[in-house]
Amino acid sequence: MALKALDIYKLLPRKNCKECGDPTCLTFAMKLAGGKTDVDLCPYLDDAAKAVLGATTRPPIRLVKLGIGERSFAVGEEFVLYRHEKTFYHPPGILFKISDTQTTEDIQAITTRVRDESFTRVGVDLRFNGIAIENTSGTPDTFARAVETVEKIADLPLVLMARDPAALSAALMHCGTYRPLIHAATPENYKEFCALAKNHSCPLVIKANNIDTLAQLAKDCTANGMQDLILDLLPESLQAFIVRSTTIRQLAITRAAPDLGYPVFLDASVMEMPDAAIALGIVKYASVIISYPLSPATARAALTLRQNIYTDPQKPIQMNPGLYRVGDPKKDAPVLMTVNFSLTFFTLQGYLESTRVPCFMLIVDTEGLSVLTAVAAGKLSEMLVKDSIKKFAVEDEVSHRKLIIPGYASPLSGRIEEATGWKVLVGPRDAAEISDFLNEEWKQ
Amino acid sequence: MVSDVNFGWSSTIVKVILGATKTNGGTRRLSYQIGGGTTLPFLEGTPDFSGPLIAFEICDDPQNWSSIVRNYCQDIVNDCGEWAHAADSVYGADMIRLYLTSTRQRNFSDIASVGKTVESVLSKTSLPLIIEGSNESTIDSEVFLKCGEAGEGERLLLGTAEAGRYRSIAAAAMAYNHSVIAQSPIDVNLAKQLNILLKEIGVARDHIVIDPYTGSLGYGFEYSYSAMERIRFAALKGDADLAMPVICSAIDSLTVKEVRDAEPAIQDDIAVQWEFTTGLAAAAAGAEIICVRHPRTIPLLRKAFTNLKSEKTDMGGQ
Ligand code: B12
Ligand code: SF4
Repeated sequence: MALKALDIYKLLPRKNCKECGDPTCLTFAMKLAGGKTDVDLCPYLDDAAKAVLGATTRPPIRLVKLGIGERSFAVGEEFVLYRHEKTFYHPPGILFKISDTQTTEDIQAITTRVRDESFTRVGVDLRFNGIAIENTSGTPDTFARAVETVEKIADLPLVLMARDPAALSAALMHCGTYRPLIHAATPENYKEFCALAKNHSCPLVIKANNIDTLAQLAKDCTANGMQDLILDLLPESLQAFIVRSTTIRQLAITRAAPDLGYPVFLDASVMEMPDAAIALGIVKYASVIISYPLSPATARAALTLRQNIYTDPQKPIQMNPGLYRVGDPKKDAPVLMTVNFSLTFFTLQGYLESTRVPCFMLIVDTEGLSVLTAVAAGKLSEMLVKDSIKKFAVEDEVSHRKLIIPGYASPLSGRIEEATGWKVLVGPRDAAEISDFLNEEWKQ
Repeated sequence: MVSDVNFGWSSTIVKVILGATKTNGGTRRLSYQIGGGTTLPFLEGTPDFSGPLIAFEICDDPQNWSSIVRNYCQDIVNDCGEWAHAADSVYGADMIRLYLTSTRQRNFSDIASVGKTVESVLSKTSLPLIIEGSNESTIDSEVFLKCGEAGEGERLLLGTAEAGRYRSIAAAAMAYNHSVIAQSPIDVNLAKQLNILLKEIGVARDHIVIDPYTGSLGYGFEYSYSAMERIRFAALKGDADLAMPVICSAIDSLTVKEVRDAEPAIQDDIAVQWEFTTGLAAAAAGAEIICVRHPRTIPLLRKAFTNLKSEKTDMGGQ
């Protein structure tokens, strides 16, 4: 399906004005042919040319941005079916759904929660991404008022869910310049919806429970000048979601059906099991997930799963090796050695902070492997510890020569003593027991 | 039609039978067949496949078992027969996975008790069983033989074989026609190697279940998830040494920081969500036996799996 550079060149304005960042239209065409740039960078392309070029030159799944400002996020631009083949790039946004029939207080409370709540894991703040507002009242005014209420509290990405273009118009008066996502065009109403979305430069969800209908609808919308599309597959069961979502991902990344090369939308709130839908949405290619506000337990599990699945399989989340301080350690403070896997670092740091014993953490470079994994793989050695003590000038920081090592590194204790000349104290295996250890073994 | 998708699969996951009913020489009221899949999980209904199985884990010496589970299950945890009975009739599990944790005490030598424990669990539930024996190579041989013998005819699933420790368990499985769990640390090549070792000493392919080792949610789950996907992929592409069904047991789920340090009022909910989320995602990656320790996780997984096997879904067309 891919067009050749020369075919593309013929569709370009041929002004050689360099505004796309390339020296000539031809070099821009060559990059487009290789999928290395975006048609939108040329401001002079007409819609017809964009429609033709859009589907064949952009990444197999289009990058679509929601919202503006600090909390805006982008989805799409994915390339693989399995995360181990490369990685998944853009984690799905999870947005809480409210109805315009809810009380103002409720709407304010939910919006405030999404604005403020964050769950910190391995040094990363995990958050929900925005608010979806549904026009259940059927009245444009009520819808607009709900949107206004949300807008007053936070600059969060929004999804506007309505059937009535009049309701959408009323809501867009309040938030039209902030790139809300409009939900959703159907084969019956797409012309009006496209016009609205285009007017406000908003991304648009299109919906159909049949993949062929969806592909046709996407084509119709691009012919109407829309490019930022998102696909709602209207799954009637969890299985229907997996089947359609996997099919679309596979067809899109192989470029077998460029008309399906858009991110996927999932409204978990209408599914029989919303918690399950969210988890499956995360692992099976959903990019925008709508849900009723989640309980703390489900919220934490969902955010953790999303963080896991969207971690690059080639690179564990790592810390820079070095000497870190907990509290304000003096020359006689304990030194605890551990690895540079973020999860290990933050777990240990958390427990150390709660012991209130100021200390040093010596983080050695195990290339992001956990203690047990590093020991098993031979990545944690006495020479690494010795070099790290030297490199990070630990001997200048403390007056003693005692190193606490993780319980799981105990097989190395003798060798570390020999190589470094430091006395090694084997700590507990479980960092949760570090407080007792420091109070009993260190302070005696 | 744009919606026709072809992954180019050429092979099928091997079918493994768990549990034997009277007609097959056992005493179980059910016998399951897992495997048989020809594409990615849940993409289409596989005949005779009723969805992933939910195994409830119990043990015969619960002192180190999660206090969350002990509080929920109460005194019953001190009698593994009663506990198994509850898992069957009250909690609604498909299988029971019994850990013989008593054998993991220092200097354990009461081998006869192993047989008695297995027999009592067999008599208190008629569900198919998974038995986890010792993890000390010096007593492996006796322990596994005792388990195998006590469950003769029942088509147990015995665990766990690892690269350095697989002979005793394989011998017991072959002697009494049970199947074996083959565990390797989150690595598709190590999983394959172990299956080859088992094959070389005579364990049949349809008597092996792969355990790629499950790191719990937030603690390595992403690696396990991908290992499961790789195994399924390799199997469907034709690698016979990886074409066995997969078991998932995220045994650390109830001890990770998020669960252990949770506010008391919601600790139970978090424990359940941790198991549920891990189990469901693992099933999506290809696991066909999902092991859990909290009884409340079972109905949640059950409902999700039911929703995942609705009749053939319309992909497009018409
Ligand atoms: C995820 C994982 C992997 C990931 C790597 C993840 C990573 N970034 O390290 C992958 C898949 C790559 C992997 C690979 C391997 N793994 Co691995 N892996 C795991 C798993 C499931 C979780 C590890 C983890 O994240 N732990 C969480 C962190 C926080 O733990 P931690 O660093 O140990 O920190 C804790 C304590 O040590 C302590 N602590 C930490 N620092 C300090 C400091 C002090 C002073 C003190 C007192 C305490 C302390 O506090 C922390 C919390 O309690 C474990 C199983 C398990 N339950 O541990 C197996 C495990 C560690 N892996 C194992 C093995 C064998 C391997 C491999 C060698 C297998 C292979 N393929 O050849 C490879 C080696 C890596 C390589 N060659 O590249 C074995 C190790 C067996 C053993 N006992 O030696 C394990 C136990 C699995 C098993 N049961 O078989 N692994
Ligand atoms: S911006 Fe458009 S017209 Fe200008 S050089 Fe680039 S491709 Fe040509």
